[in-house]
Amino acid sequence: MSDWEPKIAAFLCNWCSYGAADLAGVSRMEYPPNIRVIRIPCTGRMDPKFFLAALREGADGVWVSG
Amino acid sequence: MGIEPGRLQFSWISSAESTKFVEVVTQVTNAIRALGPNPDFTKKLAEVA
Amino acid sequence: MLSYAEKIREIAGRLLASGAVNMVIGFRQGTIPMMNEPHFAKNPAEAAKLVWDSHCGINLANYLTDRKEKIGIVAKGCDSRNIVTHIIENKIKREQLVVIGVPCQGMVDKRKIALKCPGEITAVIETETQVTATGNGFSQSFDKKDVLQHNCSLCIHRNPVIHDELVAAPVEEQKGIDRYADVRAVEAMSPEQRWKYFEDLLSPCVRCYACRNACPLCYCPTCFVDESRPQWVGKGQDPSDVRTFHFLRAYHCAGRCTDCGSCERSCPVGINMRVFTKKLEKDCLDLFGWEAGLSLDVRPPLDVYRPSDPNDFIK
Repeated sequence: MSDWEPKIAAFLCNWCSYGAADLAGVSRMEYPPNIRVIRIPCTGRMDPKFFLAALREGADGVWVSG
Repeated sequence: MGIEPGRLQFSWISSAESTKFVEVVTQVTNAIRALGPNPDFTKKLAEVA
Repeated sequence: MLSYAEKIREIAGRLLASGAVNMVIGFRQGTIPMMNEPHFAKNPAEAAKLVWDSHCGINLANYLTDRKEKIGIVAKGCDSRNIVTHIIENKIKREQLVVIGVPCQGMVDKRKIALKCPGEITAVIETETQVTATGNGFSQSFDKKDVLQHNCSLCIHRNPVIHDELVAAPVEEQKGIDRYADVRAVEAMSPEQRWKYFEDLLSPCVRCYACRNACPLCYCPTCFVDESRPQWVGKGQDPSDVRTFHFLRAYHCAGRCTDCGSCERSCPVGINMRVFTKKLEKDCLDLFGWEAGLSLDVRPPLDVYRPSDPNDFIK
């Protein structure tokens, strides 16, 4: 299990964190490759079922960011 | 729910804060790494003979 | 409480005869003991079938969703709170309704009685304080207060919150009740213990969705469990699917559930899924001082913003 890396589903708000992620990208910053970004139109779109569905499909963690 | 509280993380980042974004990604990844894999809730696929 | 039936019939007959309503929703005698069924009386003759006793646990607000005609409805405390929720959520208009309020003293739990009887119960007779169950070779009496549904024994809103007619004087509300002892017990568990606890709790679930169908809050035209693209929750008995169903159902009831107990009552295998909805009920009370369905004038906490919001991040 030593080479295990967590899989994290990241639900990012289009206007906030997704923008930040974009900026981090164009600024060529380095960050851990464990997140799988899912863009949502607004954090208000977040739903408990997304969280449960992500875990069910094998994510180890879920990160919601507005 | 019987799921470790740390598996769900929330944060608030403005679109201008790319440094904070990098910081938080690292922090979240480390937190989840510390919790280990999530075998409980994952749906087991039917085993094919 | 037993005299209610006559009064209900009288009011229903009067409303139907005068044309004030097109239909009265109440209860009639079920085909097996302790299982009264909903009755939709459309003329004064049908109104004569209405009954009232301690087996009227179904929440009748369930039958109001999107109705267009004028309706008289028999409502206990919890039913009336769900009617309020229906009105707030624009599922029915207040002007369409004539609420026949019934001050309630709690419904008996047929499982508790069946468990204490040695055989199949074929008849049940009740008095003001007692129920007597008889069957092949036995006859047993119980004090009603010992065999109440769990949610009824914890109820603090027995009188209808809205009513146009009242069948009797309001009953005294129960006071000084610790409503959330069971929720606190679950809250105190560690994630592993809780996992185990929910596993045991939900293991008999056959996913029949009776709890959803009995619930007056579950009126979505397409429930998330029936959606197939994307499929949020699998159809089988996989423990993670069963859990997903129960958790999400509870979340959909957040800030709306009145703990009427219909879900638990309708469950064929007797799962106490009320621990989930009660946890959210408790959170709503602790965080927002909110109890569902008490007033027509206040918006529920999950659809308003107040400057006094207890969470720091939003200020």
